[in-house]
Amino acid sequence: MIRLENVSKVYPTSARPALDDVSVEVERGEFAFLIGPSGSGKSTLLRLLIREDVPSSGTVWVANWNVGGLAGRRVPRLRQRMGCVFQDFRLLPNKTVAENVAFALEVIGKPRHTIRTVVPEVLDLVNLAGKADRMPSELSGGEAQRVAIARAFVNRPLVLLADEPTGNLDPETSAGIMTLLERINRTGTTVVMATHDRQIVDSMRRRVVELSAGRLARDDNRGVYGVAR
Amino acid sequence: MMFVWREAFAGLRRNLTMSIAMVITTAISLGLLGAGLLAVRTIDRTEDLYYSLIAVQVALDEPTSADDRDCSSPVCTGLRGELEANPLVASVEYESRDDAFARFQRIYAGQSILQLVRPQSLPATLRVTMADPLRGEEIVTQYTGRPGVRNVVDQRSTVADLFSFLGSVRNATFGLAVVQALAALLLISNTIQLSAFTRRTEVGIMRLVGASRWYTQVPFLIEAVVTGVVGAVLATGGLVLGKIFFLDRLMSGRLLANTIPPIGMSDVLGYVGPVLVVVGAVIATATGYVTLRLYVRT
Repeated sequence: MIRLENVSKVYPTSARPALDDVSVEVERGEFAFLIGPSGSGKSTLLRLLIREDVPSSGTVWVANWNVGGLAGRRVPRLRQRMGCVFQDFRLLPNKTVAENVAFALEVIGKPRHTIRTVVPEVLDLVNLAGKADRMPSELSGGEAQRVAIARAFVNRPLVLLADEPTGNLDPETSAGIMTLLERINRTGTTVVMATHDRQIVDSMRRRVVELSAGRLARDDNRGVYGVAR
Repeated sequence: MMFVWREAFAGLRRNLTMSIAMVITTAISLGLLGAGLLAVRTIDRTEDLYYSLIAVQVALDEPTSADDRDCSSPVCTGLRGELEANPLVASVEYESRDDAFARFQRIYAGQSILQLVRPQSLPATLRVTMADPLRGEEIVTQYTGRPGVRNVVDQRSTVADLFSFLGSVRNATFGLAVVQALAALLLISNTIQLSAFTRRTEVGIMRLVGASRWYTQVPFLIEAVVTGVVGAVLATGGLVLGKIFFLDRLMSGRLLANTIPPIGMSDVLGYVGPVLVVVGAVIATATGYVTLRLYVRT
């Protein structure tokens, strides 16, 4: 589903490459953690996957797309098959919960009747059926993140990318978010989650890909966050 | 598609004061352009009108004017025959002193100048209608100073003052229109940038969930086009009001009545209005497109 072949990324403002010759593969339906300290290249890797950026060298494959070589006008197609969740939720503050989720369908031109049936379904999936008409400011952090996940998932993506989705949440709420991500993973969606959260990684016992200073440091099939720093 | 329109109008509402400024500036610019177009149209019509009427007047000297009622004297017949044979000339008409005085009385009926003019002060003339009204000057040089000729006047040179006045009206309105258009373009460009900036989060999220660049930018283009079209409609309305309350009164006054062909409502609504709408929409779209290309990288 995702394959990086000798990928490097150098930003013009930095002497050290953000990613340095990274090769890694994530199978369809897998759940993979991407760990490493700040500045290790996790976010850069995710940015390359959704074509926010192009690699300086090497090839990034998502499904059958050569992401780096994708023509600008084809990028939307790629992103429509990928869902993204961020630490800061990125909800539109002037739209309700349901509208935020519907937004992802509206902008890709889904017909209104589809939106009307799909949005409640997915809100139900994230246990927010009762809060469809709330504004984001009325939600707790965990609820806001569940809306963001609903929005990322509503279009049934092939891959769900999560960049520190629990970074702003307390452990209990984080556990809820992880349960939700697991449930989404069980529908066959590949999930890649970048995180700092040792407790979550250790408790899930899933694949762990560790980056250190832009290089691939470790790739364990059923890993823990690790002790050696 | 509904979505795109909703976003565009939300954008216009959000920067309401800027939107109003943008519409007003566009309207003024287009209004001036429209006024210029109307001036051009009036000039064309005035030219048509006058060129069919104006002639080169070959005024005859006193002896001929005094005695010759029907161009039977040798001097007059000679000149007339020569003029009629000239390829520049379409036709020649003789106007005797009495005819000239009768016409004079008709034109200035009721005015004090009539008291001052006697038939003796008016010459008999050969009214020469030119095949090409622009070449009257050649007849003037050929016949000035000939025996029996008092003087030769090309009426076009009299009308030329009127044309040059109308021409400068046209140039002034076009000049102002260009300056205003520049202001309108900058305002539109600025507003789009502002609009794009205030909506960058939204646009970022749209891009993230896979909206095409086109889809995220169309609302801004619609904002620009709506501005252009609304501006054009206001401009046309302004021209209609200008016609009713200013031009029609001016034209019915003694000075200009029957001098310049009037501008009809159909000229404003049927010709200038549609032109302004198209020009407004096209220029606004082009400005919007260029702005998005150059300044808005989302």
